Amino acid sequence: MAAALLEFGYLFAVLAVVGAVALRLGLSVIPLYVGGGVVAGPYVAGRFGLPYVPNGEVVTILAELGIVLLLFFLGLEFSLDRLRASGAKIGRAGVIDLAVNLPIGVAIGLVLGWSPVEALLLGGIVYISSSAIVTKTLIDLGWIADPESEPILGTLVFEDLAIAVYLAVVTSLVLGGDGGVAAIGRSLAIAFGFLGLLFVAVQYGTALFARVLDVENQEAFVLRALAVVVPISGAALALGVSEAVAAFFVGMGFSTSGHRERLEHLLVSVRDVFAAVFFFWIGLGTDPTLLAAAAVPLAIAVVLSTPSKVLSGYLGGRAYDLSAHRSLRVGVGMVPRGEFSLVIAALAAAGTTPVMRDIIPAFAVGYVFVMSALGTVLMQRSDLVERLVFRGGETDGEASAEGA
Amino acid sequence: MTVYESDLPGVGKKHEVDLGDGSRLVIVTHNTGKREVFRRASADSDSEKLFELTDKLARQVGTLLEGAYFQPVQTETIETLLGGDTLIEWVEVGANSDIAGKTLGESDLRQATGASVIAIERGDEVVTSPGGDAMVEAGDTLVVIGPKTACRDFVALVKGA
Repeated sequence: MAAALLEFGYLFAVLAVVGAVALRLGLSVIPLYVGGGVVAGPYVAGRFGLPYVPNGEVVTILAELGIVLLLFFLGLEFSLDRLRASGAKIGRAGVIDLAVNLPIGVAIGLVLGWSPVEALLLGGIVYISSSAIVTKTLIDLGWIADPESEPILGTLVFEDLAIAVYLAVVTSLVLGGDGGVAAIGRSLAIAFGFLGLLFVAVQYGTALFARVLDVENQEAFVLRALAVVVPISGAALALGVSEAVAAFFVGMGFSTSGHRERLEHLLVSVRDVFAAVFFFWIGLGTDPTLLAAAAVPLAIAVVLSTPSKVLSGYLGGRAYDLSAHRSLRVGVGMVPRGEFSLVIAALAAAGTTPVMRDIIPAFAVGYVFVMSALGTVLMQRSDLVERLVFRGGETDGEASAEGA
Repeated sequence: MTVYESDLPGVGKKHEVDLGDGSRLVIVTHNTGKREVFRRASADSDSEKLFELTDKLARQVGTLLEGAYFQPVQTETIETLLGGDTLIEWVEVGANSDIAGKTLGESDLRQATGASVIAIERGDEVVTSPGGDAMVEAGDTLVVIGPKTACRDFVALVKGA
């Protein structure tokens, strides 16, 4: 008991220190939390005989809560009505994004001789941009006030929906395991049955959600919200269904209950604590020597998926009728990858093959390190990127219509 | 005035106000309540951040811009300055005002109201301690001192209908 508490003290101390470093240097906290976990975990501090945080059951459960709350918040801010309202543009930009980037990741996996499920995991990690890092950088750089923020944020909304469907399918494929087509079929049927029912419940249960949270006391409010989302997510996982998608749907249910702002306000620090533990936990499970084994796919993925995101983002910007310059910025703005790539990596780690258990998580950690830094730097130095791409004077893009 | 509103999912809302000279004022309202105010010089240029405000401060500055906040604060400070019931008022002489085109002596407002004119502002020019022969014209601003009720009567008379 005392030892476990001390380990947790160590965990939070490391998070606080790397968090302070991130704040001071103006970096995203996500890769630093992961890095803190790697360094303070069994594979680095442990190997050197220093005190370390073991990758125990309690950390794993708290990290799981982090995943649930991350996706719960995504659902809270996701609105089907909004997607429908600006549907055509978001749809076009989002489909381009999906159609360009997911296949590239899948293709890299297949070329490396991985199984289709392993390749699909790689595809997801490469496809999904980081809402947290992209949004933070948009605000830091002031792009939030410019027209390019609309296709960027719109595409992120589409990705949220895509990742929910993706996780629902891939969780069944990974956890359904090696029982052949029949077993996979059955686990997919359970997943879509459970999530379908949950989806209907949140669409028509607005009044119920509103009643649950109708309480003045803050403590009771927070506990009630957790008492809905955590058990439902747990039930999903017990059935082999994605707990993350279940949490996403519950978030959607709460978002129309009239309590959205209060939920965001009161739960945001709870989410941040558990999300930080989740990123740390990802680091704990990462053996840096495995990064060497993942180096080849990592190098290929960085070289191919950076320009592919820039290209898909550029086309997405054009779908919003932006000029060539602004569209290029949309592309640059979509490059950072982060939390959702790591959520997929955590799913892969629960898999059965050595590639899923070892290579893919190590790949994801290395990939998020590179892409979060590279993406942020590209955004900060987008003037250089623009000069590089539009070499040889102005293009006709400047003259084209500007979105109002 | 044209205002463009757009959603910023996960961030908040954005309003763009056309300033008429091709530039736009961009106001980003975060879900946290924070406001960021930018100016974009032209459609092709990048927005330049002017300032940011907390939710509370934004509302206060908003009432100031609206003109709803100015008057009470002004009166309050002046009352404290002079103490008692005495205050200083600024009043603009309307085009239809009875006193426009007359000297201070002719309209004799001190007798009528009990408030005295201590200065006349005309454009950039200021006539301090004007005598009875000082001419008042439409568009002038009179600076008046006196008891609160006297000042109120004075303002009512000068503004005219």
